[in-house]
Amino acid sequence: MNKGKIVSIHSFRGGTGKSNTTANLAAQAALAGKRVGVVDTDIQSPGIHVLFGLDETKMGKTINDFLHGKATIREIGFPIGENTGGAEGRAKLAGKNLWLFPSSIRGREISQIIKEGVDFNRLNEGLQTTISEFDLDYLFIDTHPGLNEETLLSIATSDILLIILRPDNQDLQGTSVTIDIARSLDVPNLMLMVNKALPKYDFAQIKTDIEEKFHASVAGVLPLTFDLADNASNDLFSLRYPDHEWSKALRGVAEAILAVK
Amino acid sequence: MPGVFDRLNKEIENKQQEGGITPLDLVELPAPLRKIMKIMLRELQMTYPRLCEVMDAMPEEERLTRNLLDEALSTLTQQFWLVRIGEKEKAIYKVNLKRKSGSTLSAGIWSSLDKKLKG
Repeated sequence: MNKGKIVSIHSFRGGTGKSNTTANLAAQAALAGKRVGVVDTDIQSPGIHVLFGLDETKMGKTINDFLHGKATIREIGFPIGENTGGAEGRAKLAGKNLWLFPSSIRGREISQIIKEGVDFNRLNEGLQTTISEFDLDYLFIDTHPGLNEETLLSIATSDILLIILRPDNQDLQGTSVTIDIARSLDVPNLMLMVNKALPKYDFAQIKTDIEEKFHASVAGVLPLTFDLADNASNDLFSLRYPDHEWSKALRGVAEAILAVK
Repeated sequence: MPGVFDRLNKEIENKQQEGGITPLDLVELPAPLRKIMKIMLRELQMTYPRLCEVMDAMPEEERLTRNLLDEALSTLTQQFWLVRIGEKEKAIYKVNLKRKSGSTLSAGIWSSLDKKLKG
């Protein structure tokens, strides 16, 4: 069996902070000395590369190239530890074992995937091979919000599924659907993370209420903060501002993930 | 001249063109079949003896008996959700996922979009 764990990060609705959370969790795992990969399977609307300082000019081969047989997994892995850029937070990742496997941000390549569909045998082969080729401890998968087939595939192969929700009734209902699916797929470890909670709320009460509602563990309740919005995806917030409340709670979630045997 | 490995791979690829399971089907599968499919999704391909080893290493309450395993493998291969190359002890199984179909929008829309994106 592969030794690396697949951690899928999902939210039923968009705008929950999924990519930001995924990037920061992966960075925390790398800082803890783990070998970490981050795959952007949000092929239709990729975005996590921005948090790692990549743009179209720096991006080499992508998941799209792999799916079309034009690149190997080895060629796609972008070593963040060797390319941290100028950002103060990301600079802490220098020399760390963290690779990003980005999706293409070229309009033509996105439209090609939508037009031609996805070879799931190839996609799954890519995800599993990534772990063995890079000898990863953790492969974080940033999924497309809502439930599509790529997301179901990543949930089905996950060791850990982290579902992100806001304390909002639309998110609560959607999360309930995702949890039902995850349980049908026998995901071994299911965790929830509440993000963008108004600071005036009682976070301990939110945790209790949601755990009771879903019978699942809440790994963290993270506050809504203008500071994170002000960061504008320019840097990895939890590395840049480690003493911020959001960063402290995020580290708690990372610890919960790393504690899974 | 292609070797045995290349020929086997080609044979598997040809068989994978036929049918396949969708990620949505996985949700609906009976538990024993889903258990095997999930192992295969992670391992990509396995020999029958290796699959038996993995099964034997599972906690007793999760383990499938050899008869149940054989029955499940037979169902999965008949449906082309697993592709089998070879027979009995020498059989190699590989998961077969159905391709996600592309958009059904008319070709004209795509060609127009393509021209615009080429800029």
